[in-house]
Amino acid sequence: MNPQASEQLPPQMSTLAPQVDSLYYFIYYISVISFVLIVGTMVFYVIKYRRKPGVKAQPTGHNNVLEVAWTVAPVFLLVYLFHAGWQGYVFGAVAPSNPLEIHVTGKQWTWDFTHMPSGAQESNALTVPVNEPVRLTMSSADVLHSFFVPAFRVKRDVVPGMFTTLWFEATHTTDEAEPLTIFCAEYCGATAGISAEQSVALNTNHSSMLASLRVTTREAYDTHVAQLDGPPEACVAEADPMACWGERLATEMGCMGCHNTTGAAGGIAPTWRGLWGSNRSFTDGSTREADANYIISSMMEPQSQIVTGFTTANMPVYAPTENRKLAIVAFIRSLATEGQ
Amino acid sequence: MTTEATTAPSAHGADAHSDDLPNYLTHERGIRSWMTTLDHKRIGLMYLASIIAAFFMGGVMALLVRTELLFEGRTIMNADTYNQVFTLHGAIMVFLFIIPSIPGALGNFFLPIMLGAKDVAFPKLNLGSFYIYCFGAIFLVVGIAVGHVDTGWTFYTPYSARADNSVIWMTMGVFILGFSSILTGVNFIATVHTMRAPGMNWRRLPLFIWGIYATSVIQVLATPVLAITLLLLTMEKALGIAVFDPAIGGDPVLFQHFFWFYSHPAVYIMILPGMAVVNELIGTFSRRKIFGYMFVAMSSVALALLGFLVWGHHMFTSGMSEYSTMVFSALTFLVAIPSGVKVFNWVATLYQGSISLASPMLYALGFIALFTIGGVTGLFLGTLSVDIHLHDTYFVVAHFHYVMVGGTVFGFLGGLHYWWPKMTGKMYDENWARVAWLLVFTGFNVTFFSQFVLGSQGMPRRYYDYLPRFHNLHMTSSGGAYILGVGFLVMAVMFIKSLRSGEKASENPWGSAGYEWLTTTPPHPHNFHEQPVITRGPYDYHLCTELELFEGHHKDFVASEAE
Repeated sequence: MNPQASEQLPPQMSTLAPQVDSLYYFIYYISVISFVLIVGTMVFYVIKYRRKPGVKAQPTGHNNVLEVAWTVAPVFLLVYLFHAGWQGYVFGAVAPSNPLEIHVTGKQWTWDFTHMPSGAQESNALTVPVNEPVRLTMSSADVLHSFFVPAFRVKRDVVPGMFTTLWFEATHTTDEAEPLTIFCAEYCGATAGISAEQSVALNTNHSSMLASLRVTTREAYDTHVAQLDGPPEACVAEADPMACWGERLATEMGCMGCHNTTGAAGGIAPTWRGLWGSNRSFTDGSTREADANYIISSMMEPQSQIVTGFTTANMPVYAPTENRKLAIVAFIRSLATEGQ
Repeated sequence: MTTEATTAPSAHGADAHSDDLPNYLTHERGIRSWMTTLDHKRIGLMYLASIIAAFFMGGVMALLVRTELLFEGRTIMNADTYNQVFTLHGAIMVFLFIIPSIPGALGNFFLPIMLGAKDVAFPKLNLGSFYIYCFGAIFLVVGIAVGHVDTGWTFYTPYSARADNSVIWMTMGVFILGFSSILTGVNFIATVHTMRAPGMNWRRLPLFIWGIYATSVIQVLATPVLAITLLLLTMEKALGIAVFDPAIGGDPVLFQHFFWFYSHPAVYIMILPGMAVVNELIGTFSRRKIFGYMFVAMSSVALALLGFLVWGHHMFTSGMSEYSTMVFSALTFLVAIPSGVKVFNWVATLYQGSISLASPMLYALGFIALFTIGGVTGLFLGTLSVDIHLHDTYFVVAHFHYVMVGGTVFGFLGGLHYWWPKMTGKMYDENWARVAWLLVFTGFNVTFFSQFVLGSQGMPRRYYDYLPRFHNLHMTSSGGAYILGVGFLVMAVMFIKSLRSGEKASENPWGSAGYEWLTTTPPHPHNFHEQPVITRGPYDYHLCTELELFEGHHKDFVASEAE
């Protein structure tokens, strides 16, 4: 059962959240009191000393005691706020020893997660165990991103060329129907030059860089991670479990943001319908048969061969586990037969 | 030069009828006389026209952004168009409107008059800065026209380094605008130091001048860093020298340090002039000297200096060292002290005053209320652990709009209403001015207060789309933006009507003791008919005559009417 959100803040679902919230509400009440005092006094004076015929303003005097008092008095409050904020910040910056490690890669406009030590991967969805410190080591494949989970009160920029870290300990499991949302909080652009219809269908921009976050028991977490490197249960009964898994991965990893399976030409990226086994011609004049090696090399080195009719491969590099590569290949292969 | 000092306000507006004296608007005519003018008043008006045009453009962009956010998903434009529109909104409002607004328009017009000077220290340089501003603005508009810049006004690398080349145009425009800013700053500093009228010591300097002076110091010291940053960015893009782009070995966080090392002081370039105007408004409309004059003057200088030490608070989540974060948080809290000093002194000035609620005063009181909200919400953001949650959400957007719009724009509008009669020689319809104020004040609060709640609930900024749970607050915010838009429309009609058919303004319609009201309306081309000699402070209402204050007319004007 997810806890309720308060009137101003999202539900408290991490060990950090209550600390942040009590300080937030402390500042909130200080702010309301200060505002009422300042603006109340102002309005009172405006009414009391409104201009009346024959009544002159009194000349302004000096009151250095008053001046010094309202210069010095706020210092005590400010020192307290600084100290309390720093304490909470240090709590959030230093992870307890032996946390569960997860690596995060941000790229336009997907989140990739790698569970350590197994190396199991998931994209745009993350599952973490409850009541256990989890530390994220994060980097970006392209531009700045920022990992933000409001319910945990954590946020950290994801920067290309360096690693940033963040930790949290979830205090509640989430309902199956109500996962939390991971937001990207640092502006990271959008796909340019697409039609209105594509814009509605594709959703490839900063505001669509969201991932769902599930908090489960440790047992459920272990089961989940163990299943990540093979077809999920729902696919096992299918005729081609790998292709079924590949279809799910293509959606999760964001491939379907640019590629389509309808066979429609044009668009941002080549269609996958009928791709398998076809003869590809490239902008450098060379040709090649679309086999498994071609598909995997396009995934890992999108810039190396650009299909005729496209000017550039504006695609991030994908380096999933071997099993996941094979699942994607199986999915693309299945599209060749269905179409013909 | 005569040195008459027999009467307290030693102004000589008129020998006979003030109508017979030349004024700066009519003594020369024709487009050429404006284009080549060295008169600071005409240059001020040209700035005013330019920044109003910029404000209109930026405002249309803001309404487009709010319209897109009315509903989830696509409403009127694609994501990449949306990104360009909010980039334009930010860049135009910051670089073309807010930074030059009060110093360029009102400062240029009134700084020399309030000093009792004939012009600024370097009139040709002044015209030069205006043309540099125009040139830079055209660069920006061309950057907009030829390519789509969608980096946000902050140009963060590596996104800005990868995006389309038109970023170079845009940054070059800002680079050029920076020179205009520096030259205006140098000019004002020299003017304040060397051109004060006889009798005007630093303790008699109007607080408007103190504020503009502090602003000029920041402009001169901080703007070169912006120029260096943008030059490095351009060199990286054009020559491939690795500075900020990690793909070729640069450091993207370094760019943020450079950017905010300028842009945080720039926040004070934006807010100090607003505070400066409010001092004049509160003094005039409560007929009292500003309480704690020297504390208020020095708090401007303190803000100008502290503004250089707190840039890191824009980067608490950036991956900067924890110890830097600690130092920047502590320094940031210090900013609250001079800001608080100002607000407390303004409220104390009202005590035992003779308060008029004329439209300029409504803007000043609005400023105090909105700036207080902007200030206390700054406490949330300076507090490290709370900032981590609120960083890069709508809470930040609401906070800086309360400071920039509730503060600077309200200060600017208050100043515009206040000095309008002196600048144009025409009065405006006070009732419509109050209606416009009410619409702007209400619309502003509806737009941005809802954004505080959105931010606290976790809505990130610069989002084209949002989750269903944020819908109602976004709808409310957009509704407020339309009210705000209508308010500005009413104000524009009110001012245009005033220009066409406004009642003739007297020399001192508000009954102010300020020096700028001692000259004729509209002012003489040389500001004063004779060199004024200052024998009292700009807020010494107890030294003014009854007629000046209670009839709101200058004594000479009253005398000539009585004939």
